[in-house]
Amino acid sequence: MIRFGPGNLRIPRFERPVYIVAGGLTDYRKRYPEKNTCQLCVEALRMAVEENDLKVEPEVFRRMVNWCVYSQFADHFGDQLLAAAKVHDYLGFDPLGNIEVKTGGATGGSAVLAAAQAVASGYASCVPVIGWERMDEVSTKVGNSYIASAACKDFESELGWMYASYYALMAQRYQFENNVPRETLARIACKNHDYARYSPYSQNPGQYTIDDILNNEIVSHPLSYLECCVMSVGAAVLIVADEETAFKLTDHPVRLSAICGGTHTLRTADRRHMPILLLPHESQETYRHYFEGERRDWPGFSSFLASRMAAYLAYNMAGIKNPLDDFDLLETHDAFTISDVQTYEDIGLRPYGKGREFIESGDAYFEGRLPTNLSGGLIGTMHAVGATGIFQLVEILWQIQNQWDKFHADPKRWERYGKTKPADFRSLQVKNARRGCAISHAGTGSHVTCAIMEKA
Amino acid sequence: MAIDWPTTPLDVINRDPLVVRNPKTWSHHHSYGGWGKFFLGLRERKILATRCTNAACAEKRMWLPPRCQCPDCWRDMEWVEAPREGRIFTWSVVKYPGELFKLPAGTPLISVELDGVCTKLMSWLKQADGDAGGSPTPKIGLRVRAVFNTDRPTNTILDLAWVPL
Ligand SMILES: [Zn+2]
Repeated sequence: MIRFGPGNLRIPRFERPVYIVAGGLTDYRKRYPEKNTCQLCVEALRMAVEENDLKVEPEVFRRMVNWCVYSQFADHFGDQLLAAAKVHDYLGFDPLGNIEVKTGGATGGSAVLAAAQAVASGYASCVPVIGWERMDEVSTKVGNSYIASAACKDFESELGWMYASYYALMAQRYQFENNVPRETLARIACKNHDYARYSPYSQNPGQYTIDDILNNEIVSHPLSYLECCVMSVGAAVLIVADEETAFKLTDHPVRLSAICGGTHTLRTADRRHMPILLLPHESQETYRHYFEGERRDWPGFSSFLASRMAAYLAYNMAGIKNPLDDFDLLETHDAFTISDVQTYEDIGLRPYGKGREFIESGDAYFEGRLPTNLSGGLIGTMHAVGATGIFQLVEILWQIQNQWDKFHADPKRWERYGKTKPADFRSLQVKNARRGCAISHAGTGSHVTCAIMEKA
Repeated sequence: MAIDWPTTPLDVINRDPLVVRNPKTWSHHHSYGGWGKFFLGLRERKILATRCTNAACAEKRMWLPPRCQCPDCWRDMEWVEAPREGRIFTWSVVKYPGELFKLPAGTPLISVELDGVCTKLMSWLKQADGDAGGSPTPKIGLRVRAVFNTDRPTNTILDLAWVPL
């Protein structure tokens, strides 16, 4: 679709408010033979129900649940069709209804969207969203083939069987059009690996210099290993509820003021040009000089229409005037360094073509204007795909509840996962965090959700 | 009569925690359907694309990969030949391909811009300078022409490739 009709851009609304009351995670590992998928889901659910200071006992909570949403990216990886039924049984939620959601990398975000729709419509009042991925049944090379089956198998997958290559193609074009220094991309990887050092859940923490990133082995030109997301095993849980239930469960629920989705073609190749869809703080004037130089059209090869669409709907739904002013923290789907810069533009942190400034200015860092991926993101902490979009919102929930330290700084939590809290640990709790945003993203931008959470 | 125990065990990869090897050996019979015309066309050195003929449809762009139906009016489109010369729109050299890749690591992948075609077809560059897996030679804007794997076609998109003009 390249021309919108009046119904296409309708701003979604919830018929009643939707709240997030609790979150739980596992740690994330490349291989996790000690625990099967069912066990990981119980572990994340128990953390959500037992460690978030809920006002009711777990057994009381269990009797409040009336609908469940499950989130797993690929049956290929888990090698178990209808895995949701197995997990649902294992968690003891039969015979309550459930639904399993699948939208590639954005599965977690879409699962939360499905739970929010259930609560907002009155269909349900207390909905656990349970996501996981088990990516250790196959070798990394086979895993990359599985992931590349989420490109077009008829016309694309054979070309590398490697998603990083499809992002690398966008990266080369983006750099050609926008002249982004290689170092700017590397800084994103440095930042997220570094923040992962302060997370007991993280799989790939590290203190790297820009040179380390640039001199690292190349996966697909220009992207190096350290600029690509990890492949993880792990789970994440978020409890979504209506107002009455939320305040029964906690004195500090967080409001999910918006969560909206957009899409674009699975094949990057097929993206026809169209006028730029403007966010509330942009105007025609913003892009008066955009189509000069090498930039011929939009969204072209380097912008995600799906992200722009999701942000357009969510910002209008939540009354966001300018994301840089209105958000206190952000979690992006940093599958690759390049996709992060593209996303900065799609969600309006900088105008198209100027995404680099969001990193170069320092805005994206802790204590910057809009700290981004303090969780360590997909590059540093985890990408257990079905859990990822949920993990992002769990981290934002704890930030807004001022509970980040509780879930990251306690040495016992590090010991739980067989780790030692680093000697140079620092708190990444954002002071007075009131409103956060998370972007869940699939394919080369095939599905994207934009979620906005704020202090109730 | 007692039924014998099965004689094909799952190999033990790790004893504790227990991890076993679960083999997979079957094939899929994949139907290209209407898009098969494109793959058969490659054997005749033709790049077959599609275009909408519906007079009421605002869109008249040429699609490659082809679609049998127009995404804007859902009517059948007509098959047309796309140009066999174009320009590299973007490129990458895949150093660490996934398991099923039929070409060597170090193969340059390209997206090709063809006049009159509204998409940027993903393909590969068959000729690259330098040593195996060495320095990448593709360049954005480089003019290229199509070459076709007609001798022993793989019946995949890999049967189409490009070389510098
Ligand atoms: Zn048409």
